[in-house]
Amino acid sequence: MQSNKLGWILLAPTLVILFFFGVLPFIYVVYVSFHSWNPFAANPDMVFNWADNFRRIVFDEEFLNSVGVTVMFVFFAVLSELIVGYFLAQAFMKEFPGKAIFRTIHTLPLIMAPIIVGSVWKLMTTPSIGIIPHYLDEWFGISMNIGTSAPTAFATIVLMDVWHWTPLVTLTLIAALVSLPPDPFEQAQIDGANKRQIFWHITLPMIAPAVVATVFIRLMDALRTVDEVWMLTGGGPGSATRFVGVHIFKEVFPKTNYGYGSTISVIVLYLTIVACWLLYVTMLAPRTKKKG
Amino acid sequence: MNFALKLGTSALAISVVATSAYADDAFWRKAAEPYQGVTLRGVTESSPPSLYIREVLAPQFEELTGIRVDVETTSWDQMFDKAIKDMEAGTGIYDMVYIEQDIIYSYLARDFLVDTTQLLADNPALKAPTYDEANFTTFADYFEDAEGHLYGIPMEAFIKVYLYRTDLFGDAEIQAAFKAETGRDLVPATTHEEYAEIARFFTKWGEDHDLDLWGTTAQAHTGHVASWYEYYESIAPTFGVYNWGIDAANNYAASVANGGTMNSDEAKEAMTWWLSMRDIAPPESPASTWTEVGTTFGAGRAAQGLVYGENAGWIAADKEKSLVVGNVGVALPPLAEGVMEAAEAGEGYIGYYDGGAFGLPSTSKQKEAAMLFLQYIGQNEVQPDWAVAAPRVTNKNTYDDPKVQAMNEELGGYYDMLKDKGYLFAGAPAYPFHAQVREATAPTFYKILIGDLGVSEGLDEMAAKAEAELTNLGYRK
Repeated sequence: MQSNKLGWILLAPTLVILFFFGVLPFIYVVYVSFHSWNPFAANPDMVFNWADNFRRIVFDEEFLNSVGVTVMFVFFAVLSELIVGYFLAQAFMKEFPGKAIFRTIHTLPLIMAPIIVGSVWKLMTTPSIGIIPHYLDEWFGISMNIGTSAPTAFATIVLMDVWHWTPLVTLTLIAALVSLPPDPFEQAQIDGANKRQIFWHITLPMIAPAVVATVFIRLMDALRTVDEVWMLTGGGPGSATRFVGVHIFKEVFPKTNYGYGSTISVIVLYLTIVACWLLYVTMLAPRTKKKG
Repeated sequence: MNFALKLGTSALAISVVATSAYADDAFWRKAAEPYQGVTLRGVTESSPPSLYIREVLAPQFEELTGIRVDVETTSWDQMFDKAIKDMEAGTGIYDMVYIEQDIIYSYLARDFLVDTTQLLADNPALKAPTYDEANFTTFADYFEDAEGHLYGIPMEAFIKVYLYRTDLFGDAEIQAAFKAETGRDLVPATTHEEYAEIARFFTKWGEDHDLDLWGTTAQAHTGHVASWYEYYESIAPTFGVYNWGIDAANNYAASVANGGTMNSDEAKEAMTWWLSMRDIAPPESPASTWTEVGTTFGAGRAAQGLVYGENAGWIAADKEKSLVVGNVGVALPPLAEGVMEAAEAGEGYIGYYDGGAFGLPSTSKQKEAAMLFLQYIGQNEVQPDWAVAAPRVTNKNTYDDPKVQAMNEELGGYYDMLKDKGYLFAGAPAYPFHAQVREATAPTFYKILIGDLGVSEGLDEMAAKAEAELTNLGYRK
């Protein structure tokens, strides 16, 4: 009983901070989402409008488009990071000359702020001055212009995200792989299992919790991507890279549509929770159930 | 005798100037006495004029008065974001905010700003002897209310001009080739047809001679509002489409069906022409905002283009940044028939008169001290060096200063044009819903740029979206 009380006392500062900086703002956003509120409208006051904003969102083509491109971005980016990250983690499990230097260089993108990453990639991809379009043209005769080609802009952003975040995936998977006991692998080899069988039946199930945790982190990060995209394409060309974070930013800040912008934020939070729950149910829950 | 007379006159002049400067210094010191220890905070766009305030004027003022001034220079988007949030929430972080000419009406509608005329009238002890609203050019009118009260101290003003390369236009070989191809002399264009002809000629000339040279610039970013602004502020007016095609007097109509011109034949012709220019501009144009257009021109990659005046200075004179120093000329933008006559008659305009002022937020906790600083930067005395460091003119007598006149030569007569032809240009229309309509229509605009929508269909959709947004905001009944 006494230790329980001590626990609450120790937790109290965190809970207070969480309440004021996490829960309270969220409640306020939910409250605003039921209002029409644009300070530059003819009536700048907050007006309660029931669920009008939520009804509007269902028919909002720009929002639905932004959700669509975000889902595509999350799928391609996170999947690529997982695959590339796994192979890199496996490579780092082995000894090779210059491994320490390579591993340090490989993790450098992680320490860069997203806005810097966006700036660097903008410099690298701007037609005429960027190194990537220059060499693509010189070596392969390929004309690359992220200002005019929607698929190119989208692919560039996926590539930029992969470059930025794969090191995180690699590091978490290295940690998972290092912690695996050698016995099951030795046993499988004695029983004549090949590499693919070992991967599917031993390695993957054993590192699944780490994979799921990594995917959760990357999924949530990718869903709120704004800075890099803002810097690189501004959401263009057209709406090709107007991800949901960029869409919310444009709705809330330049357009000052606080009410509707809050509604979009609430819906996006809900979609993120649902996506994470689905991921948990499909990837981790069956394992937990089997164990039970 | 003559020498003695000259010496005596000079001594008298120096002593008058020195005495008056001393008297002025005395005013600032005395007026600042109640505000010792105060720190003023301002937020502005990171532009050459603003950097001059931060690096030169703020330290000078601090040395003179003891009032510290911290000027935060940031990106255009961030500047508005920070200022609006501060004024909306009433936190009072900022004592001075940059007001771009096009946002002033939104700020006034929300009572965000202090009436500086009234503040000085109510506090005569604050009024600097060297500050006078009458010193400002007519650009200050954009920051006044109906009663002529000033809500922002003008700090930068420039027009978006037609820049051209004098070295290329004056090259005998190029002139001969142009004449042979077109049958006319190579001179700056006055019509869209001429402009397009020159643009096509130079783009082809660059290709034929393996040069990184194109015939025109284009501020045509496919995901940034800079392209929207280029079209509505610089291109559409030259075809006779004014105020974004919205008729405020006619229930804020945007579509032709309701009395607007956003999707008029002239608007469609303007867009088609502009896109055709974009297609022969340097390849970076679809990723270019106003900054990159200046960079493109300064790098010598375009023979002509519409460039914001704030960039004209460094393009024409800064050898460290520009490759075309001494080779820049200025002209009025090319126009459709009847547009110049309409502008002369005050019924239209030929381009964008850009600029901004420093305003005093109603939420500021140091209004009086901030008003002192605003007067300091509005004095005639500080203007010439500022105009040389960054090509902007806000006070009438700045044009006559020898330093500014020398700079005018370097800029190919830019200041003369600003002074003599500035009245033909106009700032943004007096809409309190500036950013809202822009953002509501921008996604469609970008679709036109990348070809997802045709010009006609796209402008029809934009007009419909503008009207829907105006209805939603409660302006259109």
